[in-house]
Amino acid sequence: MKRTVLALACLLFSSATGAEAPKGRAFGSPNAPITIEVFSDFQCPSCKTLHELALRPLLRDYVVTGKVYLIYREFPLPQHPYGRLAASYACAAARIGKYQEVADVLFLDQVVWSASGNVDKTVASVLSPADAIKVRTLAKESGIDAEIQHDVELGKAMGLTQTPTMMVRHRSVPYPISGAVNYDLLRSFLDGRLGK
Amino acid sequence: MTMARTSRLLLRIALGCVFVFAAWLKLKEPWQLFAMSVDAYGLLPQWAVVVVARTLPWAELALGLLLISGVWLRVSSAAVSLLLLGFLALMVRAYLMGMKIDCGCFAASGDPISLRTLARDGGLFAGALALTVLAWRAPCARRSSTTTAASPVPGPDYARER
Repeated sequence: MKRTVLALACLLFSSATGAEAPKGRAFGSPNAPITIEVFSDFQCPSCKTLHELALRPLLRDYVVTGKVYLIYREFPLPQHPYGRLAASYACAAARIGKYQEVADVLFLDQVVWSASGNVDKTVASVLSPADAIKVRTLAKESGIDAEIQHDVELGKAMGLTQTPTMMVRHRSVPYPISGAVNYDLLRSFLDGRLGK
Repeated sequence: MTMARTSRLLLRIALGCVFVFAAWLKLKEPWQLFAMSVDAYGLLPQWAVVVVARTLPWAELALGLLLISGVWLRVSSAAVSLLLLGFLALMVRAYLMGMKIDCGCFAASGDPISLRTLARDGGLFAGALALTVLAWRAPCARRSSTTTAASPVPGPDYARER
Protein backbone atom coordinates (compact mmCIF):
# COMPACT_ATOMS: atom_id res chain seq x y z
CA MET A 1 0.00 0.00 0.00
CA LYS A 2 2.75 2.39 1.05
CA ARG A 3 4.74 1.42 -2.03
CA THR A 4 1.74 2.08 -4.30
CA VAL A 5 1.29 5.52 -2.76
CA LEU A 6 5.00 6.15 -3.13
CA ALA A 7 5.02 5.11 -6.78
CA LEU A 8 1.98 7.29 -7.43
CA ALA A 9 3.56 10.24 -5.65
CA CYS A 10 6.75 9.86 -7.71
CA LEU A 11 4.75 9.63 -10.92
CA LEU A 12 2.48 12.57 -10.13
CA PHE A 13 5.33 14.77 -8.99
CA SER A 14 7.45 13.91 -12.00
CA SER A 15 4.69 14.68 -14.48
CA ALA A 16 3.64 17.82 -12.64
CA THR A 17 7.09 19.39 -12.59
CA GLY A 18 8.71 17.70 -15.52
CA ALA A 19 11.32 16.40 -13.09
CA GLU A 20 14.31 14.80 -14.69
CA ALA A 21 17.85 13.86 -13.77
CA PRO A 22 19.74 17.01 -12.76
CA LYS A 23 22.59 17.90 -15.11
CA GLY A 24 25.98 16.93 -13.75
CA ARG A 25 24.50 15.00 -10.83
CA ALA A 26 23.41 11.88 -12.70
CA PHE A 27 25.88 9.12 -13.51
CA GLY A 28 25.70 6.04 -15.69
CA SER A 29 23.24 5.09 -18.38
CA PRO A 30 19.64 6.33 -18.11
CA ASN A 31 18.68 2.98 -19.67
CA ALA A 32 20.25 0.97 -16.84
CA PRO A 33 17.86 -1.62 -15.31
CA ILE A 34 18.08 0.00 -11.88
CA THR A 35 17.83 3.67 -10.98
CA ILE A 36 18.98 4.93 -7.61
CA GLU A 37 18.19 8.44 -6.40
CA VAL A 38 20.23 9.35 -3.33
CA PHE A 39 18.73 12.06 -1.12
CA SER A 40 21.57 13.36 0.95
CA ASP A 41 22.74 16.22 3.16
CA PHE A 42 26.44 17.12 3.08
CA GLN A 43 26.44 17.91 6.80
CA CYS A 44 24.85 14.64 7.89
CA PRO A 45 27.33 12.08 9.33
CA SER A 46 25.38 9.05 8.04
CA CYS A 47 25.41 10.56 4.55
CA LYS A 48 29.20 10.76 4.78
CA THR A 49 29.36 7.08 5.74
CA LEU A 50 27.03 6.08 2.91
CA HIS A 51 28.97 8.15 0.39
CA GLU A 52 32.35 6.80 1.38
CA LEU A 53 31.53 3.16 2.13
CA ALA A 54 28.70 2.37 -0.26
CA LEU A 55 28.33 4.91 -3.07
CA ARG A 56 31.97 4.91 -4.15
CA PRO A 57 32.08 1.12 -4.64
CA LEU A 58 28.59 1.30 -6.16
CA LEU A 59 29.88 3.72 -8.81
CA ARG A 60 32.76 1.38 -9.60
CA ASP A 61 30.80 -1.91 -9.61
CA TYR A 62 27.38 -0.97 -10.93
CA VAL A 63 27.30 2.54 -12.44
CA VAL A 64 30.38 2.26 -14.64
CA THR A 65 29.25 -1.18 -15.79
CA GLY A 66 25.83 0.16 -16.88
CA LYS A 67 23.73 -1.69 -14.32
CA VAL A 68 22.70 1.30 -12.23
CA TYR A 69 21.77 4.88 -13.09
CA LEU A 70 22.76 6.97 -10.07
CA ILE A 71 21.18 10.36 -9.39
CA TYR A 72 22.28 12.59 -6.53
CA ARG A 73 19.54 14.70 -4.94
CA GLU A 74 20.13 17.43 -2.39
CA PHE A 75 18.07 17.24 0.78
CA PRO A 76 19.70 19.65 3.29
CA LEU A 77 18.07 19.32 6.68
CA PRO A 78 17.06 22.47 8.59
CA GLN A 79 19.06 21.45 11.67
CA HIS A 80 22.33 21.60 9.70
CA PRO A 81 23.28 25.29 9.35
CA TYR A 82 25.75 24.83 6.47
CA GLY A 83 24.08 21.91 4.69
CA ARG A 84 22.26 24.10 2.16
CA LEU A 85 25.37 26.20 1.46
CA ALA A 86 27.37 23.03 0.80
CA ALA A 87 24.59 21.79 -1.50
CA SER A 88 24.75 25.12 -3.40
CA TYR A 89 28.47 24.69 -4.01
CA ALA A 90 27.98 21.05 -5.07
CA CYS A 91 25.19 21.94 -7.50
CA ALA A 92 27.29 24.79 -8.87
CA ALA A 93 30.18 22.36 -9.33
CA ALA A 94 27.83 19.99 -11.16
CA ARG A 95 27.23 22.73 -13.75
CA ILE A 96 30.92 22.58 -14.70
CA GLY A 97 31.15 18.79 -14.43
CA LYS A 98 32.92 18.67 -11.07
CA TYR A 99 30.17 17.34 -8.82
CA GLN A 100 31.91 14.13 -7.84
CA GLU A 101 35.16 15.84 -6.85
CA VAL A 102 33.36 18.47 -4.79
CA ALA A 103 31.01 15.96 -3.15
CA ASP A 104 34.00 13.77 -2.24
CA VAL A 105 35.87 16.59 -0.54
CA LEU A 106 32.79 17.97 1.20
CA PHE A 107 32.20 14.60 2.83
CA LEU A 108 35.90 14.03 3.48
CA ASP A 109 36.28 17.35 5.31
CA GLN A 110 32.77 17.41 6.76
CA VAL A 111 33.97 17.87 10.34
CA VAL A 112 36.18 20.82 9.38
CA TRP A 113 33.72 22.98 7.44
CA SER A 114 30.80 21.96 9.66
CA ALA A 115 32.67 23.60 12.55
CA SER A 116 34.01 26.64 10.71
CA GLY A 117 31.30 27.18 8.12
CA ASN A 118 34.03 27.76 5.53
CA VAL A 119 32.60 25.64 2.73
CA ASP A 120 34.30 27.78 0.11
CA LYS A 121 37.79 26.89 1.29
CA THR A 122 37.05 23.15 1.27
CA VAL A 123 35.54 23.26 -2.22
CA ALA A 124 38.33 25.43 -3.61
CA SER A 125 40.90 22.87 -2.45
CA VAL A 126 39.90 20.47 -5.25
CA LEU A 127 39.30 23.01 -8.02
CA SER A 128 41.57 25.08 -10.20
CA PRO A 129 41.50 28.82 -9.32
CA ALA A 130 39.42 29.53 -12.43
CA ASP A 131 36.91 26.79 -11.63
CA ALA A 132 36.74 27.91 -8.01
CA ILE A 133 35.71 31.40 -9.15
CA LYS A 134 33.08 29.93 -11.50
CA VAL A 135 31.63 27.71 -8.77
CA ARG A 136 31.63 30.56 -6.24
CA THR A 137 29.68 32.75 -8.67
CA LEU A 138 27.27 30.02 -9.73
CA ALA A 139 26.57 29.00 -6.13
CA LYS A 140 25.03 32.43 -5.50
CA GLU A 141 22.62 32.20 -8.45
CA SER A 142 18.95 31.84 -7.67
CA GLY A 143 18.71 28.99 -10.18
CA ILE A 144 20.92 26.85 -7.94
CA ASP A 145 18.72 27.50 -4.95
CA ALA A 146 15.66 26.60 -7.03
CA GLU A 147 17.41 23.38 -8.09
CA ILE A 148 17.98 22.43 -4.44
CA GLN A 149 14.44 23.38 -3.51
CA HIS A 150 13.16 21.20 -6.34
CA ASP A 151 15.04 18.20 -4.89
CA VAL A 152 13.72 18.97 -1.40
CA GLU A 153 10.15 19.14 -2.69
CA LEU A 154 10.66 15.91 -4.61
CA GLY A 155 11.89 14.21 -1.45
CA LYS A 156 8.99 15.55 0.59
CA ALA A 157 6.54 14.33 -2.05
CA MET A 158 8.08 10.88 -1.68
CA GLY A 159 7.54 11.05 2.08
CA LEU A 160 11.21 11.25 3.01
CA THR A 161 11.78 11.53 6.74
CA GLN A 162 15.53 11.24 7.04
CA THR A 163 18.85 11.37 5.22
CA PRO A 164 20.43 9.54 3.62
CA THR A 165 17.61 7.83 1.77
CA MET A 166 18.11 5.92 -1.44
CA MET A 167 15.12 5.48 -3.71
CA VAL A 168 15.94 2.36 -5.67
CA ARG A 169 13.71 1.67 -8.68
CA HIS A 170 13.63 -1.57 -10.59
CA ARG A 171 10.90 -2.21 -13.17
CA SER A 172 9.04 0.82 -11.79
CA VAL A 173 8.89 -0.69 -8.30
CA PRO A 174 10.36 1.74 -5.72
CA TYR A 175 12.37 0.42 -2.79
CA PRO A 176 13.15 3.16 -0.25
CA ILE A 177 16.32 2.42 1.72
CA SER A 178 17.29 4.67 4.61
CA GLY A 179 20.53 5.07 6.48
CA ALA A 180 24.16 4.27 5.87
CA VAL A 181 23.63 0.77 4.56
CA ASN A 182 26.17 -2.02 4.49
CA TYR A 183 27.58 -2.29 0.96
CA ASP A 184 27.59 -6.11 0.98
CA LEU A 185 23.86 -6.15 1.73
CA LEU A 186 23.20 -3.47 -0.87
CA ARG A 187 25.16 -5.47 -3.43
CA SER A 188 23.23 -8.63 -2.55
CA PHE A 189 19.97 -6.69 -2.96
CA LEU A 190 20.99 -5.22 -6.32
CA ASP A 191 22.26 -8.57 -7.62
CA GLY A 192 18.95 -10.12 -6.57
CA ARG A 193 17.03 -7.52 -8.60
CA LEU A 194 19.36 -7.81 -11.61
CA GLY A 195 19.14 -11.60 -11.55
CA LYS A 196 15.37 -11.54 -11.89
CA MET B 1 -18.25 -14.61 28.46
CA THR B 2 -16.26 -13.20 31.37
CA MET B 3 -14.30 -9.98 31.27
CA ALA B 4 -11.02 -11.92 31.40
CA ARG B 5 -12.00 -14.17 28.51
CA THR B 6 -13.15 -11.22 26.41
CA SER B 7 -9.91 -9.34 27.12
CA ARG B 8 -7.87 -12.42 26.30
CA LEU B 9 -9.73 -12.96 23.04
CA LEU B 10 -9.39 -9.31 21.95
CA LEU B 11 -5.71 -9.15 22.92
CA ARG B 12 -4.72 -12.33 21.14
CA ILE B 13 -6.60 -11.41 17.96
CA ALA B 14 -5.20 -7.87 17.94
CA LEU B 15 -1.61 -8.93 18.67
CA GLY B 16 -1.88 -11.84 16.26
CA CYS B 17 -3.02 -9.55 13.47
CA VAL B 18 -0.20 -7.09 14.21
CA PHE B 19 2.37 -9.90 14.05
CA VAL B 20 0.95 -11.38 10.84
CA PHE B 21 0.82 -7.91 9.25
CA ALA B 22 4.43 -7.14 10.29
CA ALA B 23 5.59 -10.48 8.92
CA TRP B 24 3.70 -10.03 5.64
CA LEU B 25 5.24 -6.58 5.08
CA LYS B 26 8.72 -8.04 5.51
CA LEU B 27 8.17 -11.24 3.57
CA LYS B 28 6.75 -9.50 0.50
CA GLU B 29 9.96 -7.50 0.14
CA PRO B 30 13.46 -8.76 -0.70
CA TRP B 31 15.01 -10.03 2.54
CA GLN B 32 18.03 -7.77 2.13
CA LEU B 33 15.91 -4.71 2.92
CA PHE B 34 15.02 -6.05 6.35
CA ALA B 35 18.64 -7.19 6.76
CA MET B 36 19.73 -3.56 6.26
CA SER B 37 17.38 -2.49 9.05
CA VAL B 38 18.75 -5.20 11.36
CA ASP B 39 22.33 -4.29 10.45
CA ALA B 40 21.68 -0.61 11.24
CA TYR B 41 21.44 -1.46 14.97
CA GLY B 42 25.13 -2.33 14.79
CA LEU B 43 24.95 -5.26 17.18
CA LEU B 44 25.33 -8.39 15.07
CA PRO B 45 28.02 -9.71 12.74
CA GLN B 46 26.90 -9.94 9.14
CA TRP B 47 26.25 -13.69 9.15
CA ALA B 48 23.91 -13.24 12.13
CA VAL B 49 22.18 -10.30 10.44
CA VAL B 50 21.42 -12.58 7.48
CA VAL B 51 20.12 -15.36 9.75
CA VAL B 52 17.86 -12.95 11.66
CA ALA B 53 16.60 -11.26 8.49
CA ARG B 54 15.72 -14.57 6.88
CA THR B 55 14.08 -16.23 9.91
CA LEU B 56 12.52 -13.53 12.09
CA PRO B 57 9.64 -12.67 9.71
CA TRP B 58 8.69 -16.38 9.55
CA ALA B 59 8.80 -16.58 13.36
CA GLU B 60 6.57 -13.49 13.56
CA LEU B 61 4.15 -15.10 11.12
CA ALA B 62 4.04 -18.36 13.09
CA LEU B 63 3.52 -16.55 16.40
CA GLY B 64 0.82 -14.35 14.90
CA LEU B 65 -1.07 -17.35 13.56
CA LEU B 66 -0.74 -19.17 16.89
CA LEU B 67 -2.15 -16.15 18.72
CA ILE B 68 -5.06 -15.81 16.31
CA SER B 69 -5.89 -19.51 16.47
CA GLY B 70 -5.44 -19.66 20.24
CA VAL B 71 -3.32 -22.81 20.01
CA TRP B 72 -0.53 -23.02 22.64
CA LEU B 73 -1.58 -19.59 23.88
CA ARG B 74 0.49 -19.68 27.06
CA VAL B 75 3.69 -20.45 25.16
CA SER B 76 3.00 -18.17 22.19
CA SER B 77 1.97 -15.19 24.35
CA ALA B 78 5.08 -15.60 26.49
CA ALA B 79 7.26 -15.83 23.37
CA VAL B 80 5.63 -12.72 21.91
CA SER B 81 6.17 -10.84 25.19
CA LEU B 82 9.84 -11.78 25.25
CA LEU B 83 10.27 -10.87 21.60
CA LEU B 84 8.60 -7.47 22.07
CA LEU B 85 10.66 -6.82 25.19
CA GLY B 86 13.79 -7.54 23.16
CA PHE B 87 12.66 -5.23 20.33
CA LEU B 88 11.80 -2.49 22.80
CA ALA B 89 15.15 -2.77 24.59
CA LEU B 90 17.02 -2.51 21.28
CA MET B 91 14.98 0.48 20.19
CA VAL B 92 15.43 2.29 23.52
CA ARG B 93 19.18 1.65 23.31
CA ALA B 94 19.33 3.03 19.76
CA TYR B 95 17.20 6.04 20.72
CA LEU B 96 19.34 6.86 23.77
CA MET B 97 22.48 6.54 21.68
CA GLY B 98 21.02 9.04 19.20
CA MET B 99 21.10 6.57 16.32
CA LYS B 100 19.07 7.86 13.38
CA ILE B 101 17.88 4.52 12.08
CA ASP B 102 14.69 2.83 10.98
CA CYS B 103 13.15 0.60 13.61
CA GLY B 104 12.49 -2.19 11.09
CA CYS B 105 9.28 -3.02 12.96
CA PHE B 106 6.95 -3.14 10.00
CA ALA B 107 8.08 -2.04 6.55
CA ALA B 108 11.82 -2.31 6.08
CA SER B 109 12.20 1.44 5.64
CA GLY B 110 10.52 4.74 6.44
CA ASP B 111 9.82 4.17 10.13
CA PRO B 112 12.62 5.95 12.04
CA ILE B 113 12.96 5.30 15.77
CA SER B 114 11.21 8.07 17.66
CA LEU B 115 9.13 8.56 20.79
CA ARG B 116 6.12 7.57 18.68
CA THR B 117 7.60 4.21 17.69
CA LEU B 118 8.78 3.62 21.28
CA ALA B 119 5.29 4.34 22.61
CA ARG B 120 3.75 2.06 19.97
CA ASP B 121 6.06 -0.84 20.77
CA GLY B 122 5.71 -0.17 24.50
CA GLY B 123 1.94 -0.44 24.09
CA LEU B 124 2.29 -3.70 22.18
CA PHE B 125 4.57 -5.08 24.89
CA ALA B 126 2.10 -4.08 27.62
CA GLY B 127 -0.67 -5.81 25.68
CA ALA B 128 1.43 -8.95 25.20
CA LEU B 129 2.35 -8.99 28.89
CA ALA B 130 -1.31 -8.66 29.88
CA LEU B 131 -2.22 -11.49 27.51
CA THR B 132 0.54 -13.69 28.95
CA VAL B 133 -0.74 -13.11 32.50
CA LEU B 134 -4.33 -13.80 31.43
CA ALA B 135 -3.31 -16.92 29.51
CA TRP B 136 -1.35 -18.36 32.43
CA ARG B 137 -4.08 -17.56 34.94
CA ALA B 138 -6.94 -18.82 32.82
CA PRO B 139 -6.51 -22.60 33.11
CA CYS B 140 -6.24 -22.43 36.94
CA ALA B 141 -9.37 -20.31 37.22
CA ARG B 142 -11.23 -22.63 34.88
CA ARG B 143 -10.06 -25.76 36.64
CA SER B 144 -11.23 -24.51 40.04
CA SER B 145 -14.60 -23.48 38.62
CA THR B 146 -15.16 -26.90 37.03
CA THR B 147 -15.05 -28.55 40.43
CA THR B 148 -18.44 -27.08 41.20
CA ALA B 149 -19.80 -27.01 37.67
CA ALA B 150 -22.52 -29.36 36.48
CA SER B 151 -20.30 -30.69 33.71
CA PRO B 152 -16.62 -31.35 34.59
CA VAL B 153 -15.67 -31.65 30.91
CA PRO B 154 -13.65 -28.61 29.82
CA GLY B 155 -14.98 -26.74 26.80
CA PRO B 156 -13.12 -26.58 23.48
CA ASP B 157 -11.81 -23.09 24.18
CA TYR B 158 -10.15 -24.38 27.36
CA ALA B 159 -8.39 -27.16 25.49
CA ARG B 160 -7.33 -24.85 22.70
CA GLU B 161 -5.95 -22.17 24.97
CA ARG B 162 -3.74 -24.46 26.97
